[in-house]
Amino acid sequence: MRRLILVLAVFAIAAASCSSSVPTDGVEPPAQVTNSEMQELLTTSTEPIVLNVWASWCTPCRSEAPLLGKAAREFSDEVRFIGLDVRDSQDGAVSFIAEFFDDAPIEHFADPGGAIPVELGGTRGVPLTFFFRSGGELSYLHIGIIDERTLALQVDELREG
Amino acid sequence: MEFTLLWAALIAAVFAYAVLRWEADRGNQGCCSGNLWEVAITSAVAGIFIGRIVMMLVDGVNPLGHPMDVLLVRSGVSTAGASLGAAAVFAWLSRREPIAMADGISAAAVAGLAGWQAGCVVRGTCLGTASGLPWAFAQDGSTVTRHPVGAYAAILLAFAALALVWFKARRSPAAGVAASLAIVAAAGVRLVTEPLQLSLSGGPTWFYWSALAAGSAGTLWFGLIRRRRTADR
Repeated sequence: MRRLILVLAVFAIAAASCSSSVPTDGVEPPAQVTNSEMQELLTTSTEPIVLNVWASWCTPCRSEAPLLGKAAREFSDEVRFIGLDVRDSQDGAVSFIAEFFDDAPIEHFADPGGAIPVELGGTRGVPLTFFFRSGGELSYLHIGIIDERTLALQVDELREG
Repeated sequence: MEFTLLWAALIAAVFAYAVLRWEADRGNQGCCSGNLWEVAITSAVAGIFIGRIVMMLVDGVNPLGHPMDVLLVRSGVSTAGASLGAAAVFAWLSRREPIAMADGISAAAVAGLAGWQAGCVVRGTCLGTASGLPWAFAQDGSTVTRHPVGAYAAILLAFAALALVWFKARRSPAAGVAASLAIVAAAGVRLVTEPLQLSLSGGPTWFYWSALAAGSAGTLWFGLIRRRRTADR
């Protein structure tokens, strides 16, 4: 029992000492976007789009972010990746982008009110991942954390379709 | 919140438990004093969390800085990390009679993997690369037909599990052979199905090849060399 308490105490101290602050130099905050601007972006795009809705306060978003970064780096020549930060602070958004998407080819936008995902057919909860064919037709909507197999399948659907 | 991953895990557990019970009922499981089911389930759960931590480290996320992320296994589990972690925990829990317990659990472990793969039906992840074969099918709203690669893996692993049950019951293999063959089956099925899987990183084929080599070497060692040495004594 003593050994267990010691291990937990060491883990807690280590966790507390590991701050998650990352350098944010040169990272731009996401540009604010309206619903009509987002709709226009989707319908006029000649490439299919993966639209991931995230927020820096959302633990599941943090958890799936590395996968989205990996997908963007792998398929950005065929598919456009867009991040939509909802109901978030600017500082939080910048830290999140710096931590997970710094070198990933993802365009980020901000929707402080969080209304756009609902207008697109989603929910108010995050994370959400929309898959749009070129021209803005919705191919698939994933609610919640996305896993690698689902992400790879839906991206392949966009590429094949 | 989605529970499809838990359903897939439950299917895997049911498959493994069914095979353990079946073997016990046929008198083919009286190998070890330890409780095989407890050891199996503890090793599997520990393996999943170790695999998740490894995946976080690979992705550059500090598990100590974000300890709650460890629970979000849907975001990715390292296959190599999970397998090696589960094997290490299993080795520790079965340290008094490791080979007998590994043999005892071999068919159930392969059946559990078959159940996990069959769980792709509830997870919606059965489909792989595009295919024009007659049994290929498309997801809702799509015209692109694909290999049901999850079903291929589940069927192959189920056959392997049944073959192992039969082999253990009828052939009385030398100690260690059944466990080695289980590793060969699991790695072989992954190697065969991996080219049809869709993934972002291509899958750890190096690990499957290593496991196949280790399993084959184990089969040879336990089946031929060690048996001959024991007979010589």
